[in-house]
Amino acid sequence: MKPVLGIAGYVLREAMSRKFILAFMVGITLVLTVVALSLRIEVVDGALAASRLFGEELRNSIRSVDVALRPVYQAAAFLVFYGGILFGIVACSDFAPSLMSPGRIEHLLALPIQRWHLLAGTFLGVMVLALGGTLYGTTGLVLIFGVKAGYWTAGPLIAGLLACVGFAAVYAVMLTAATLVRSAALCAASGFVFLVGGIIAGYRQQLTPFFEEGLGREAFRAVTLVLPRLSALAMAAGDIAASTPLEVHSLGMLLLGVLVFGFGALAVGFWRFEGKDY
Amino acid sequence: MDNRGRRRVWLVVAAMLFVVAAVLMFTGQGEAPAMETPKVEFPRRMRAPERARAERRRTQVLPVQVDAGTQERARPRDPVLAALPRGEGKTAVVIEANALRHSPIGELLLDCLMRDGGKRLEELRNLSGVDPLQDLDRLVITDDGMMLSGNFGNAKFKELLGERVSMDYGEGARVYEPGDMTVTRPDGSTARRRSEAAVATWNNELLVIGKSPDEVKAVVDRVEGRGPDEPPAISEGSTYGEMYGVLSVDQLARLLPKEQAELAERIRQVAQNVELHVDASGDVAMVAEVRGANGDEVTDLGKTLGAALSMARIKAQAEGEKDLAQLLDFARVQPDGTSFKLEMAVPLDVIQKRLAFCKEERSAAEAAER
Repeated sequence: MKPVLGIAGYVLREAMSRKFILAFMVGITLVLTVVALSLRIEVVDGALAASRLFGEELRNSIRSVDVALRPVYQAAAFLVFYGGILFGIVACSDFAPSLMSPGRIEHLLALPIQRWHLLAGTFLGVMVLALGGTLYGTTGLVLIFGVKAGYWTAGPLIAGLLACVGFAAVYAVMLTAATLVRSAALCAASGFVFLVGGIIAGYRQQLTPFFEEGLGREAFRAVTLVLPRLSALAMAAGDIAASTPLEVHSLGMLLLGVLVFGFGALAVGFWRFEGKDY
Repeated sequence: MDNRGRRRVWLVVAAMLFVVAAVLMFTGQGEAPAMETPKVEFPRRMRAPERARAERRRTQVLPVQVDAGTQERARPRDPVLAALPRGEGKTAVVIEANALRHSPIGELLLDCLMRDGGKRLEELRNLSGVDPLQDLDRLVITDDGMMLSGNFGNAKFKELLGERVSMDYGEGARVYEPGDMTVTRPDGSTARRRSEAAVATWNNELLVIGKSPDEVKAVVDRVEGRGPDEPPAISEGSTYGEMYGVLSVDQLARLLPKEQAELAERIRQVAQNVELHVDASGDVAMVAEVRGANGDEVTDLGKTLGAALSMARIKAQAEGEKDLAQLLDFARVQPDGTSFKLEMAVPLDVIQKRLAFCKEERSAAEAAER
């Protein structure tokens, strides 16, 4: 386990040295600060009576504060989920290719660690990074609305954690792609493809009737059966953030399924990495 | 284990993980279609069927007005709307009895009405000659009494009210003064009852019940075009929903429970007029538009009402009353200058659960009769 943690620390140091990740963190801070300073919420006996953004009164209806904030939290959950995964794909696409770049990989392979430790460490480091960013953003949001509206909910935080699991599945595929082709662009492309595939997989039931009965429909059903159901997870994240009933049958199983898919993709990466000559 | 063996293990592990993941995701998401979140359609404006209904009801053509040699053709109008009280601060609530009867909530209410197996309804039919389920179109409640509109061609008004002093009035009305009437019981015996209400019938279409003959005559005057020139309390554009109308602020305040005495007083002080629309075509949804003279005071009143609804919802959640909390989810107040709209809804399944006993009792009574 120690070598895996060592590589994870190495990845984190690498990430911190990158300016655009720091810029992203500053960006989140700025957005949260602007929202905190510009948003004014008047709550009367648990009802959102009035709200002002940049001094302009928002034409809101007066209703229970948790009901009124549902769309805000739901939108934030979707933003964190899809925005976070998209940013993660772009920001983390060249970690693995650069780790496997000539000169560097030879040095790493010379270390007294197993090959799969390298990939597992990279995966862990990136996940710690994603988790940190998500928790930072969602905690800030919860704090702002909690203090301003007096309505405290862990919904957005849980939604953020679900987004991290979704990203884990996507990043595992990207890492595996990096063992096949040492290219940041292709790595990111594989992440995008699986993100889109994951969105489609979540809506497989609604989309299946659009395929003609026969081979096409069965092929679609077979492919989307295996793909991580990211949109279903995103919907669940939105429901949790908004404190509305879940549409999925069992969130725990869905979550575990997406995570296990990620581990499966990672295992393919280990298989490929173990047999590759550098 | 050599490198090749290790690789094979990773591949097998990967394949197994993918299978496990597919099973978990398949079971976790479920293949059943997602449950639809309850959506309630609030009556905020006139819809096409209601527009057509209003048009169909313009059946009354007043005599041609001759003015300075020119003849202006009067537009046909709805006699019920024409009969409504005129001016600000009046109460007039119209219940679309026929539409309500054919709505899901109407079916439930009918079960409640016929819990005795329909005996009382049959009694009423025989006694009056009017079948409320077929002949009644609208029921109007005003400050001074009530009006029923529909097809009263088979009504036995003369037999029912024949002992009272009556007179023809206007062009198509007959006015009955308060007095005694003989009622035949189901067993054939008769009983005498005293009624303090004055009644007027108009063209077998309208039945007006008021406190005095003058009041019912005033209604007939309005129908026949002899009333004041002010517009009726409800305009044709506001005839949407299964129940609609205007409530005087005093009436509205009186509807509130004693615990809300402070709120009732505030409503009396701030509001001038309340327009109400209830849609029962699916879920029961209500929109009440409260208007006042002072924008700030009206907004404050809206906030107070919003807070009261929010508190009620929190209380329902705390006490585990899921149904009530769910219906209060839809409650909201929409401020708009010198007015605000209050929206509330009761999902149909909640009403169905509450009134389920009516259906059971009706079925039991009908079975016992057989």
